[in-house]
Amino acid sequence: MKQAHKHSRRSFIKISAVLTSLAAIPSSVKAFYQDVKKFFVVPKQTMPLAIIINKKTYKTTADTRTTLLDLLRENLQLTGTKKGCDHGQCGACTVHLNGERVLSCLTLAATVPGKEVTTIEGLAHNEQLHPMQQAFIECDGFQCGYCTPGQIMSAVACVNEGRTKSVSEIKEFMSGNLCRCGAYNGIVESIQKVAAS
Amino acid sequence: MAFFDESFSLLTPPEGRVEALAKVTGKGKYAAEYVAEHMCYAVLVDSAVAAGAIQNININKAAQVAGVIQIITHQQKQLVPGFSDESKIKDSRFGLPLFHTDKIYFKGQPIAAVVAETLEDAIYAASLIEATYTPDNFVVDFEEAHTKQSLAEAGKERGSINALNKAPYIVESEYTIAAEIHNPMEMHATIAEWTATDQLKLYDKTQGVNNVQRTVSKLFEIPEKNIEVISEFMGGGFGSGLRVWPHVLAAIMAAKQVKRPVKLMLSRPQMFYSVGYRPASWQKIKLGADKDGKFIGILHQAKNGSSVYESFSEGITRVTRLIYHFPNLKTESAVVPLNLSTPTWMRGPGDCTGDFAIESAIDDLSYQLNIDPVQLRLKNLALDKHPDSGLPWSTNFINECIEKGAAIINWQDRKPKPLQLTDGDWHKGYGMAVGMWNAGRNNASAGIEMQKDGTITLQTAMTDIGTGTGTGMQNIAHEVTGISKSKIKIELGNSNLPPAPSQGGSTGLSSVSGAVVAVCNALKLKLAAYAVTINNVYKNSTPNDILFSDKGISYKTPGNQPISYSQLWDKHQLTTIAVEASSGPGEERKQYAFCSSAAHFCRVRVHSKTGKVKIEKLVCVADGGKIVNEKAAANQMSGAAVGGIGMALMEEQLADAKLGSLVGNDLAGYHFAVNADAPIIDVAFINKPDPHINPTGAKGLGEVGIIGTAAAIANAIYNATGKRLKDLPITPDKVLGL
Repeated sequence: MKQAHKHSRRSFIKISAVLTSLAAIPSSVKAFYQDVKKFFVVPKQTMPLAIIINKKTYKTTADTRTTLLDLLRENLQLTGTKKGCDHGQCGACTVHLNGERVLSCLTLAATVPGKEVTTIEGLAHNEQLHPMQQAFIECDGFQCGYCTPGQIMSAVACVNEGRTKSVSEIKEFMSGNLCRCGAYNGIVESIQKVAAS
Repeated sequence: MAFFDESFSLLTPPEGRVEALAKVTGKGKYAAEYVAEHMCYAVLVDSAVAAGAIQNININKAAQVAGVIQIITHQQKQLVPGFSDESKIKDSRFGLPLFHTDKIYFKGQPIAAVVAETLEDAIYAASLIEATYTPDNFVVDFEEAHTKQSLAEAGKERGSINALNKAPYIVESEYTIAAEIHNPMEMHATIAEWTATDQLKLYDKTQGVNNVQRTVSKLFEIPEKNIEVISEFMGGGFGSGLRVWPHVLAAIMAAKQVKRPVKLMLSRPQMFYSVGYRPASWQKIKLGADKDGKFIGILHQAKNGSSVYESFSEGITRVTRLIYHFPNLKTESAVVPLNLSTPTWMRGPGDCTGDFAIESAIDDLSYQLNIDPVQLRLKNLALDKHPDSGLPWSTNFINECIEKGAAIINWQDRKPKPLQLTDGDWHKGYGMAVGMWNAGRNNASAGIEMQKDGTITLQTAMTDIGTGTGTGMQNIAHEVTGISKSKIKIELGNSNLPPAPSQGGSTGLSSVSGAVVAVCNALKLKLAAYAVTINNVYKNSTPNDILFSDKGISYKTPGNQPISYSQLWDKHQLTTIAVEASSGPGEERKQYAFCSSAAHFCRVRVHSKTGKVKIEKLVCVADGGKIVNEKAAANQMSGAAVGGIGMALMEEQLADAKLGSLVGNDLAGYHFAVNADAPIIDVAFINKPDPHINPTGAKGLGEVGIIGTAAAIANAIYNATGKRLKDLPITPDKVLGL
């Protein structure tokens, strides 16, 4: 964990000790203490959010530090979107924002209102799988399944972007989605199948 | 159980794995995705030094963060009974006595756990914890440290290694492989919930729920049956889930202390030093042959890194004693303690490492001898018996793997000398290597619950880590019983189900398949016993006499009318019929040796100016006995080969010798093969059942897919460029000789 502040522990303890001893007295001093404390321990801020996910509006309150990924997984229990690195390096958390693929771990939830989020849970319609989901099953485009929702969301976008002209083009445009099981054969085959139909 | 997604009815379900729907819709629950009431979050704080002792941990600032519930350190914790004194710590074999010592063994060792209401609160508070240390000297540089470690004999010498001195053809070389990290896509996570003072429920990312149950039971001194471990969906393991790691204990301790369910998910950087890795290794090979290419002998020396608090030997020289007939052989090994976390088994452990050196040396020898590497191998394979035990192989089709692979890649297009195939600035070349793995089998149990409508639920505690175990079980049960696949449901990955071994070492399917056959037979006999009251023909019947179908039970004699399940159920007023059976290895292990094997062939192009290596074609042919589920098996083989590409060309975890920290420990700094790094991989199987290994004849494939891949690539690079590269990964700088 990185050090969040430059101020030393010792100076904090000193100030805390002094201020704590003064805490019994005037309220203006108490307020001053609170101000100083905020300087060292940043208080959390929450904000109300209304977010459209899979065509449904979710009204919730979220920490301003919450990513879209954590909002989905921890606050809304939409756990189909996966956390593979939390650093924008693996693609497991890929969702669509206004129809384009984005990494939900690099998207703060607070920036999402007004945009439409589509997650893996919103891909199938009326008990009908999305053709890409169907293809992933038929072509065995996964093993452990953890990167799969991200792969499928990326694959749908890859087809929409028209990046399916060759195996190497598909591979290039799917290389932001890592698969440690190495199910790349099936992933490419799935995309070819959908692109051809 | 969510293995089948009942909420989603499809008119025409696509043919695929049993759990496919749950995986493509995002509904399958992985460890961190369960909801427990009043759950809170734990985040680990890591040591900032690589060796020494903790002087003081200042938690004042962190404790003031809104939402913080508890901060656990070695000074503020409830005692874990299994760590109550030094001898118990030793007996626990847990390795790191988490929060029960002030000693620091490696940078990144957990020194505190912050428990808070939200993940954000916990992460922020953890960042405010400050510790002071009494630092000590440390060593993390394997390259430097291994030279000081002396070798010891690993296994008995065969013949006399002195015979090598008279060999007319000798290859003597050193090889190194950088440490590699499993990095399954799902980061390790645990939700721990104490449902009573001595009752624990764990949702844990693990390759073996029963192993977690046993380990935790010992540490907390509570009966195993009081611990329920759930690992239904597991986002990749590759060996990292074969042990119970400190973070699991941290979650359990935290949950006990705050009396609430606690979720702990490691961060990706923490994944690099918290759940094992393939240790860095050094090897030296001396290989001798006569003028016809017959091997005279081999000296194989190997060392691997480990931690200072546990000794882990990768078993690098095991494979040397397996594939070829070496009349004279000596193997030596050593473990090099380092101030790093403890390594563990990673896909093809030991064999993958050792095989790279042996298969590189054999390739080297083939050029000296001017004998085709395929022919040189075929000439020396120990096809008749296990060279060490002397037991005949039950089956060993490694020669067929080689011949088939050579045909698929058009081996005849290979040039016998390097630098013969060029395309502009690119040099092209062909390479091959083989891999082998002792095919193991363990005791496993399975259960069946059957309903009146003829549906059965097949159960085992084994976790399917992505290999297709559930689908394989369904296929086997369908074949043995005749019940259609749509009526066979699967339940896996829960310690309340019939016990099974961890899924590792390519033993999963081999072990559980025997149990599935056994339980199917038990079901047949159970139903036959009920059927006797309707038709006497079932009296004294054996499982082979009984056939099931979706209509009912019938006797094998032609024209025999089936008795419907509902008739049986009604007559005996049955609800659910439950049977359980176990199966394991037996006498056959004393009569035969067992192996899985593979041959890897590849064609590469190497750029002479940039050193870039591009794999154009990669072919893997495997002997895994009978292939129970071809699609999943091929997927596993090609996936393992992709892992081999990473091992050969990019995977490398370095440690900073001065700071003691890992360098670039995230997925931007540590590269494994992405989609564009791998070609479409060709997979083929020999697909001949092993008649003795288990009732299905299927052998594990998880390891042999990777063993040999790296050597095949390195050998192809030599064939293309004339550069014998012996240090993995083969990055462009090495290709260019910089």
